[in-house]
Amino acid sequence: MNIPNVNHYIHAYKVAPWRIQRQWIGSALLAVVALAMVAALYLIVTSRAAIAGREIQDLTFSITVSQQVSGDLQTELASLTSASAMERRALELGFRPVEPDEVEYLVVSGYSEPEPFILSATQHLQLSALTIAPEYNQSLLDWMDEKLLSSRGMQ
Amino acid sequence: MRQQYARRTQVLTSVLGLIAFAIIVQMTRIQNSAEAAVFSQQAENYAYELKTFYPDRGEIYDRNGRLLAGNKTVYEIGVDLNTVRDAHAIAFAVSSELGMNYDQVMDAIQNPPEGLSYIVIADFVEAQQALNLQELKKVLQEQAAEGTMGGLTGLQFKSHPQRSYPEESLASNLIGFVTREGRGYFGVEGKYDTLLAGNSVQVLVPTDPNKAFEIPHVSNGTTLILTINRDLQAAAEQILDKSLSTYGAKSGTIVVMDPRNGEVLAMAGSRRMDLNKFWDYTSIYDKDNQFNPAISTPYEPGSVTKILTMAAALDSNTVTPNTTYLDTGSVLIGGVTIQNWDRQPWGLQSMVGCLQHSLNVCMVTITDRMGAGVFYDYMDAFGFGHLTGVDLDGEVSGRLKVPGDSDWYPVDLGTNSFGQGVTATPLQVMMAVSSVANNGRMVVPHTLYAMVRDGRQYNVPAQFAGSPIKEATADTLSEMLAISLEAEASLALVPGYRVAGKTGTAQIPVDGFYDSTQTNTSFIGWGPVDDPQFMIYVWLERPAESIWGAETAAPVFAEMAEKTVILLDIPPDYIRQQLVAK
Repeated sequence: MNIPNVNHYIHAYKVAPWRIQRQWIGSALLAVVALAMVAALYLIVTSRAAIAGREIQDLTFSITVSQQVSGDLQTELASLTSASAMERRALELGFRPVEPDEVEYLVVSGYSEPEPFILSATQHLQLSALTIAPEYNQSLLDWMDEKLLSSRGMQ
Repeated sequence: MRQQYARRTQVLTSVLGLIAFAIIVQMTRIQNSAEAAVFSQQAENYAYELKTFYPDRGEIYDRNGRLLAGNKTVYEIGVDLNTVRDAHAIAFAVSSELGMNYDQVMDAIQNPPEGLSYIVIADFVEAQQALNLQELKKVLQEQAAEGTMGGLTGLQFKSHPQRSYPEESLASNLIGFVTREGRGYFGVEGKYDTLLAGNSVQVLVPTDPNKAFEIPHVSNGTTLILTINRDLQAAAEQILDKSLSTYGAKSGTIVVMDPRNGEVLAMAGSRRMDLNKFWDYTSIYDKDNQFNPAISTPYEPGSVTKILTMAAALDSNTVTPNTTYLDTGSVLIGGVTIQNWDRQPWGLQSMVGCLQHSLNVCMVTITDRMGAGVFYDYMDAFGFGHLTGVDLDGEVSGRLKVPGDSDWYPVDLGTNSFGQGVTATPLQVMMAVSSVANNGRMVVPHTLYAMVRDGRQYNVPAQFAGSPIKEATADTLSEMLAISLEAEASLALVPGYRVAGKTGTAQIPVDGFYDSTQTNTSFIGWGPVDDPQFMIYVWLERPAESIWGAETAAPVFAEMAEKTVILLDIPPDYIRQQLVAK
């Protein structure tokens, strides 16, 4: 076996022009695939953010509509139970206003006088920009910026 | 062969490179061209939309959570002129549903003002009517798709809130109203207009959904909880209406207040309006001060102010309850003879008898003894001539002439002592007398119990306006007034409850002279005497049935007090005393 000849062939194979071309093409393709992947990822994140944004807009609109409906119903209920409406209904049902001498004051143990109306004693959580997680409104570039800035800050 | 491939590859690469280069050159050229700014501006125009976010006006509740003023959705109906297909159909539908004139609607659509692409056909349309039109539009659009009709394309609906008062005219004097421009007038609506309205926010809203988080949060207007009790208010209005009819009075006022903290529990005027129809205001009221006479119509209150004169005399040690004087039926002061209401002498009287029989001569005598300086100092401390500071829009202060004023005469000291020649609103008198009912401390009347903003409730504390008299004076005078009512078997007495109070009958000046046939009758009283929980003021203007407060305002007070103790769950005295003893 002639070993120098074998080495010669191996060397010739390694330096063959078609092989170098393939290496170049492979590298270029790899770069293209990598770029495509990054672009696809960016597209996916952006589209998700857009969808989330649109959902926020829809939900905001729904909240407004719900509040309007709630307000309308509340006002309608108040109209139906207004002092004059309740008195009219009571009279229609055969009731009559009580005379002071017909009233007897009974002491009921454990009964306490109703306190004035308390509409709200606590802070309601309000949905605002600050409560939305960054994943829903941050683009890939924003995220990379943030990471870069934070890494610089750490250094 | 290989060379051929190599050449082809070079040519292809060159062509592709040239194309890529051309694209880059073109992109750069466009970016720097003259049109770039226009395109950029167009992009910016579409990127943001200027929107005004109007907060909902805050609601108003009574102290038990009954809605007195809320909001309901109404619609603005307009036409987008660029998309109209069938103007006739729109004009017909709108005119038939909203009762508008067909020709006018048609003219508005066909001859719009120059440069407008959207016109408003009707605003503040009720939700049901708008819904009917929307349904009609949907049905016609389905038919239009089949090619049968033009449909209502172009007809647009924009919802917005409108003030609504579910109780209509109840407590209208106190609440006030809001016009369509959103401005509050009178009462609570006027006083707290800025708080209730909130702040509108005008912002550029991004159309890019990626920027949805930039939509601002607009806080609604502040919600108010009032001190008034809706059922007590309704009772006060019913009793007032009945008393006007019974006694033939021209107008009247009833105010119920908690003398311990100044909370107004009810405030009724005889002229009321459905607040949903604020445009009726001018047909109901001739002057602004008629909207809520309890705070804006000062009048000569008459003998109810004898409480204050006696308080001043007792507090300054001018008299004691047992001090006596000989009533001769008349007394001379400032060159003018003052007589009792019946022009009769009442002989030897104590201070209790003085209050019981409401003797003018007695009041003039003790005021003369007290001296003008002391008397007017006390009246000033009681708040006469000053605003009470009640949180209602439109308050007016009465006038107290004092020595040194160009129109003050020595006889005024005499007439002022029994409530003539001095003017005050019912609420001013209540504030002053609250010092007697509340151990010497004078409360500031108020109607706001709490306010709610951004989910937090802020309760309003009671405010006091000093102590014009000592606690002992207040207790003594309360007892004297209770005894005088009981001794007189007054129509103001309330079975089961001990009350203190005083009638007032004041002649009304007509053309510069007091007319003895026309009077303002009043009564102020509170109870239970040993633990005052309510104070009621009744004022009837020109009652025809009787000119005397004891025969008109006093029984109205009793009726109101009987209703008040039921609605406020105040136990009769004997039960309350048993409960306290336990």
